[in-house]
Amino acid sequence: MIRIVWAIIRKDIAQMSRDRFFAYITILGLVVYVVLFWALPSTVDETLDLGVHGVGANLLAEQLGGEEGLDLAVFDTSDALERAVTDGELVAGVDFPDDFLPTIATGAQATVTVYVPADTTDDIRTAISGLVRELAYLVAGTTLPITAPAEDEVVLGPDRAGDQVPLKDKLRPLLAIFLLMMEMMSLASLIAQEIRSKTVTAVLVTPARTTDFLAAKTILGTALAFVEVAVLMAAIRAFGSSPTVLLTALLLGSFLVTGMALLAGSTGRDFIEILLLSVALIVPMMIPAGAAMFPGSAAPWIKVLPAYGMTQAIVRASAYGAGWAEAAPYLLTTLAWCVGVFALGVFMLKRKVETL
Amino acid sequence: MRILALFRREIQVGPRSPMLLWAVLVPVLLTVLVRSVFGSLFQPQPRLAVVDEGSSVLTEQLLQLDDIEVTVLASADELREKVEANDFDAGLVLQSGFDAAVESGDQPELHLYISGESLASNRIILEITALDLIRGLTDDNPLVNVKVVSLGDEGYDLVTRLLPMLMIYAVVIGGAFIPAMSLVQEREAQTIDAVLATPATMDEVLMAKGLFGFVLAILTGVFTLFLNSAWGVHPWAMLAALAVAGVMMAEFGLILGSVASDSTMLFTLLKSAGLLIVFPVIFPLFPSLPQWIAWLGPTYYFLDPVFKIAIEGAGLADVWLPLSAGALICVALVPIVRILGRRLAARLAVTT
Repeated sequence: MIRIVWAIIRKDIAQMSRDRFFAYITILGLVVYVVLFWALPSTVDETLDLGVHGVGANLLAEQLGGEEGLDLAVFDTSDALERAVTDGELVAGVDFPDDFLPTIATGAQATVTVYVPADTTDDIRTAISGLVRELAYLVAGTTLPITAPAEDEVVLGPDRAGDQVPLKDKLRPLLAIFLLMMEMMSLASLIAQEIRSKTVTAVLVTPARTTDFLAAKTILGTALAFVEVAVLMAAIRAFGSSPTVLLTALLLGSFLVTGMALLAGSTGRDFIEILLLSVALIVPMMIPAGAAMFPGSAAPWIKVLPAYGMTQAIVRASAYGAGWAEAAPYLLTTLAWCVGVFALGVFMLKRKVETL
Repeated sequence: MRILALFRREIQVGPRSPMLLWAVLVPVLLTVLVRSVFGSLFQPQPRLAVVDEGSSVLTEQLLQLDDIEVTVLASADELREKVEANDFDAGLVLQSGFDAAVESGDQPELHLYISGESLASNRIILEITALDLIRGLTDDNPLVNVKVVSLGDEGYDLVTRLLPMLMIYAVVIGGAFIPAMSLVQEREAQTIDAVLATPATMDEVLMAKGLFGFVLAILTGVFTLFLNSAWGVHPWAMLAALAVAGVMMAEFGLILGSVASDSTMLFTLLKSAGLLIVFPVIFPLFPSLPQWIAWLGPTYYFLDPVFKIAIEGAGLADVWLPLSAGALICVALVPIVRILGRRLAARLAVTT
């Protein structure tokens, strides 16, 4: 049996290598994804760059200089401050008047000018205005209207301030799915071509049985998808501290798309139908990967989609270094989907082949 | 008359192609994608959850804030759970009697929870905004009057700058891809041979397919603009820009369809030629790039007018120059389409 399956695989490889379209866009896709990944910033900018000028500048710098998320720069003149804001170097510039401290000390109202770029959002305008007002209360010796709890009580979950996971790291599952999608279309196209040209019947008049044919398609599809996606993950340095977890997730993902390819290939009659069927099958695969880029937990309906487990396993293993225990539920869900989709794909293809 | 008969045939056969579904679905999907992903992923708003246990006036004030996403939750436990999962950047629990305690100077404990995964900048914004509003409970006359001065041009937000990208996909699929695919599929199924066996000429076949692409490009273009609330205030100017887009895309489609020998080759060609068609949309996204490079792309000459009419309220008098250049490109493409059409007819004659 192994000899027959291997012979069919060799025939398929030769046939696929002749299809220049898929070979071309698979390589192109791989290169583009790697370039895109490395072109994205590797850090998260979570700092508000604030410029200050005037007599309150040093006081503000003293009070907030060490505050995480705020980068303060003191300017010698109002003009320099205004220029820095206009040039986009600062989120805002606070210009204290010369009489700021004496005016506040006497309890009178002082006017402070805050320069912002015209496209600054309201949340930042409100926050900077509030910051300046709070400084005035500090100068005047007014106490806080509330009691602030200790910081370790208010931060929930691991504190990642200054150590955020960049967007590019969350993009990895989506890139993997894009590549798997191309492999799925390639295999689906090969299967449809065999059915259309009836070469499958030619194969089956030899000692090869339908199960050999299906086994060859499954092994080839899974192996090709797995090798390509593993190369992509290596090129974007996804193999962190949990390479075996990541490899398992990729293997399951490859198996899942192979099942989908069997389904699309046995149902679609021509290139366009395969393309549309593949897109219809791949869109639900892409949703969890897209959702992983957003902060927060995914909606319940996203959690039941086939690629959710695989996506979570990839993100957690590559970005957070998750081990087997943490990734196990996600891998098991993906495995369950693999079995279901693959069984359906095999059933459809077997039925199609038998009707030829 | 024969062109009209062939055009009627395109209308009858065209909707059976699944690609037509794409032409309609792609603008909708891209619009949803652009508005949800680019609106919230690359320009995220700070997210605050509030639990109000005692009808605080602060809740109403927080809900009225622009650019901060405020959600009122039912219980403090739910708030802590969601903040920990980073569904919110921060959560504020306003215990019963909070406002009165602040007003009487009792300094009640502030139950503000921060998500460990929230950005440091968002933490500062939410903490200061909350504190500022709490101060407002007791102090109607703050010590400082803050004068906010806006500097420079406002520019366009990312979602607006993505409009040319949405437009190009809308007109490329309807205007170029469908006539190209139709031509290739007719060759694969050899139905074009049957058509050419009648008195119809290749020029007339191409004209009918081009006309079908032109109409589709206009329809998908109008659909996309309405979907994005970007029709503008000068409908005739917009229709003129869409007409240039429709003609240019239909011509590109006919050129690609004449050159490609099968569907696979057409996709390969589209992937390569697609860069030439699409690259001008990159420049509005990155205003710091030298914008003149976009002039080298033929699609710039309808994308720029569409953008100006839709977003800046420009009329025909403002965009006639690029539109005229676009129309000239359309005229220049006519002989190329005819030459390739004749070569195709000659090839078909040889094979049949």
